[in-house]
Amino acid sequence: MGGGIVQVAAQQGLDVLLWDISDDMLERSLDRIRGSVQRSVERGRLSQEEADAAMARIQTTTQFAEFGDVDAVIEAVLESIDTKSSVFRNLDESCPEHAILASNTSSLSITEIGAFTQRSDRVVGMHFFNPVPAMALVEVIQGHATTDETMDRAVALGRELGKTPVRCQDTPGFVVNRIARPFYNEGLRVLNDGVASMEEIDRIMRGVGFRMGPFQLMDLIGNDVNLAVTSLIFEQLYDEPRFRPSFRQKRAVQSGRLGQKTKQGWYPYE
Amino acid sequence: MSESRDSLGQTAVFIESARDLELAEALTSAGSAVRRIDLRGDLSTAETREALSDARMVVDMTAIDHDAKRAAVSAFNSYAPSTASLVSFALTVSTTEIASWSTSPERVVGFGFLPPLADVKVLEVAPGLQTGEPARAAAQALAVALGKESALVSDGAGLVSARILAPIINEAAFSLMEGVATAQDIDTAVRLGVNYPHGPLEWADLIGVDLVYSIIRALHAEQGDDRYRPCPLLRKMVLAGWTGRAAGRGFFPYPR
Repeated sequence: MGGGIVQVAAQQGLDVLLWDISDDMLERSLDRIRGSVQRSVERGRLSQEEADAAMARIQTTTQFAEFGDVDAVIEAVLESIDTKSSVFRNLDESCPEHAILASNTSSLSITEIGAFTQRSDRVVGMHFFNPVPAMALVEVIQGHATTDETMDRAVALGRELGKTPVRCQDTPGFVVNRIARPFYNEGLRVLNDGVASMEEIDRIMRGVGFRMGPFQLMDLIGNDVNLAVTSLIFEQLYDEPRFRPSFRQKRAVQSGRLGQKTKQGWYPYE
Repeated sequence: MSESRDSLGQTAVFIESARDLELAEALTSAGSAVRRIDLRGDLSTAETREALSDARMVVDMTAIDHDAKRAAVSAFNSYAPSTASLVSFALTVSTTEIASWSTSPERVVGFGFLPPLADVKVLEVAPGLQTGEPARAAAQALAVALGKESALVSDGAGLVSARILAPIINEAAFSLMEGVATAQDIDTAVRLGVNYPHGPLEWADLIGVDLVYSIIRALHAEQGDDRYRPCPLLRKMVLAGWTGRAAGRGFFPYPR
């Protein structure tokens, strides 16, 4: 996901410093970004000059010490609180005083991440959606210590990246992942209660204007990922029954029927 | 399609609110002979009796007021011919419960869709435990007459689409009430983040906040599960008359 953010930033004319843990990882990321930019050229969305200029704006490093000149950082490392802790402590030491530090987390608390630094007022969430170049939304998340000024700067950065930012408070699932939960979870309940078959549930939901029914969408997202998000929000809200996960989805995961990526989810895929 | 579209014959439609006119008008323009019965009026008039005694099918759109819904069933029992079916809107009460108010439960079938009718492709048809074959066929004929596909589902509050969408709207209302984000930002996030056809709050205004609240409340009562606990903000909005687009104000203002 970090690669998508770097690509969008460079295409929008920002100078980007890409950090990763090793030269190997950096090389791989750059290759992926280059491939994606090149596909935009092939599809006529970008001229070759624009693509070359975008790639030229990307510098790479494995050293936090080189962050002395940045105005803003968007972190998109592993979704693990220990990893975030180490990265944010390093960023806090190396970045200039005025820099804002944004985390592209979908599930961790911005307040908790901010507390790893001495500048929790300038730590903010910027939750992008996959694939970043195609998805217009970024959720800008205010932790308990995040100032309004930091929020304004993150919103402005989101706009500079060509995205539509929405502001939200640091709550489990933020806006999208929380509100979308019943689409999957209630679909599973309707199936489990024998109200209708999954094919019929999907057809009925397409019939009210959704592009895909819940079972098709769970197969696209991956049942493992989808169940993990539901379970995490359920835990973070201290067992709020509205988010109670479905054992049917757990069985799908246990049987390896994760979705399109394993060629079998709720539906078979060839 | 046009051949089967005019096969309904005389149809009486119980109307609870302006929201229900759409279905009556759609049936009329599809060529059915439709008599409307306004549930806010007197049901013992000669006019009501006549509308029901001529009907081959009686459609009851009542969703919010269950006393009115019982009154509609009672009028169907008293005045409709013994061959007529009662096709009853069943998102806020199960078909089996509606049928329990009737002297001939086998002639009662439930159906549902999320208003506005023009926006949905599929009519959900929900027989109750006692629903007979002619009543089920009548509900499917209603779908055909309206130019919709039909899906046969088990009865129970919300059926399928409303049981999935009402909790989404309920969650959006909780998010707004709790100050997670503004109404506008909630809708923008959901439209852009998961590509829903409408933001959930704008969608509630379109369906009617009163109907959404009735559905989630019925789910809560029927399932006895706090998973369906209605957001207090929804209830307050209904009490304030902020029921959506048709009322001029819901989650968003609609200046007239």
